[in-house]
Amino acid sequence: MLDFMSLLRESASTFARDIDHLIAWVAILGGFWWLIAEGVLVWLIVKFRHKEGVRAQYITGEKKEEMKWIHWPHNLILLCDVAIIIMAINVWYNVKQKLPPADDTIRVIGQQWSWRFVHSGKDGILGTPDDVETVEDLHVQVGKTYHFKLETTDVLHNFSVPVFRLKQDSIPGRVITGWFKPTMTGTFDIQCAEMCGIGHGIMMGRIHVQTPEEYDQWLSTQQKVAQSH
Amino acid sequence: MSQDEGRGERAYKLCTYCHGEQGEGRQDLASPSIAGLPEWYLKAQLTKFSEGARGLHPQDLGGMKMRPMARTLFANQNDIDAVSKYVAGLPRPQLQPTVKGRPIKGQATFQVCVSCHGENAQGNQALNAPPLAGASDWYLVTQLKNFKAGIRGGDPVKDPTGASMRPMATALSPKAMADVVSYINLLHQKQQQQPKQ
Ligand SMILES: [Cu+2]
Repeated sequence: MLDFMSLLRESASTFARDIDHLIAWVAILGGFWWLIAEGVLVWLIVKFRHKEGVRAQYITGEKKEEMKWIHWPHNLILLCDVAIIIMAINVWYNVKQKLPPADDTIRVIGQQWSWRFVHSGKDGILGTPDDVETVEDLHVQVGKTYHFKLETTDVLHNFSVPVFRLKQDSIPGRVITGWFKPTMTGTFDIQCAEMCGIGHGIMMGRIHVQTPEEYDQWLSTQQKVAQSH
Repeated sequence: MSQDEGRGERAYKLCTYCHGEQGEGRQDLASPSIAGLPEWYLKAQLTKFSEGARGLHPQDLGGMKMRPMARTLFANQNDIDAVSKYVAGLPRPQLQPTVKGRPIKGQATFQVCVSCHGENAQGNQALNAPPLAGASDWYLVTQLKNFKAGIRGGDPVKDPTGASMRPMATALSPKAMADVVSYINLLHQKQQQQPKQ
């Protein structure tokens, strides 16, 4: 039942389900109380509708039997909040704070209004001459854990990959480390999710999640380009 | 055609944020002056940006800004035509020189450029050579550097006309670039003064 989020959009990272579950629980718990509150409201409107010869009375809501209409729902909702907070901290820890060991690391650089990526190349080490730099297109292998080092050359941006349920602000002057592990091959959108100027809405990119064979083939074509320059 | 009246001006609204109301450009945003450039050249460059022949090189910071913009225009071919026509019709702005070089040395270097860009740097459509006189001088230097490094015109398949500029730029040192651009500035100033006499 909790997978209804993935009906709306495919999920392609290991933590996508955790985030979907959390959002589903917030929707279920919030939706449950919303439905009850609306039901009570409609019931009261009908029950206390205008009747011939009955005058409306003014209630201050200070008597005990009146106050319980506030206190009971309030306490129960607080209980739900505590449950949501516990689940949220759990997901936050797994997605944002725990950093599983990396198989490979990429640099992601946001700038008005394009994404730039530095792949580690054949040797798997960033900052060496065989690094492959691209604009708009990020290539990764399915099933590998990636660390990303997120930077910006100008203003705030946000590296957002909807199918991964991944969103991370980039902040001028900082290099922010995060991670993801793709679970499905395919080409997916990368977008900017932080207002960054006139071109914000069209600041786009693509992530190509490939099998190791496809990735190696792509890498060899890139290195040929690098040599020809 | 009557329904298209004002279309270029409307489409150009998006460009004003960087290139200015009159297409005069803004150096702090890496946006060159574009007003009065020939229509064929504007169309060619918009096409290159949109197809990724420009603005996809990781070191082309200004071009990377322009590429998504050009792509939005390409949602509609009529917008490309209209906006190119509109910008071509804007008067060439009067720009303050920002590049300090030695025009006398630049004059000698410029003789290589004459065969394509013309005696007065007025450009030549038959050779795909844009006018240089009246351009943002800092932009000319940036592009010479980009051509030399292969940031622009690095891929002869995607950008054959840009690639033909590469060997010319490769021969220039940074100093020679400043010299030749300051000579182009001087050429433009002379042209501006002539009608007044
Ligand atoms: Cu952005």
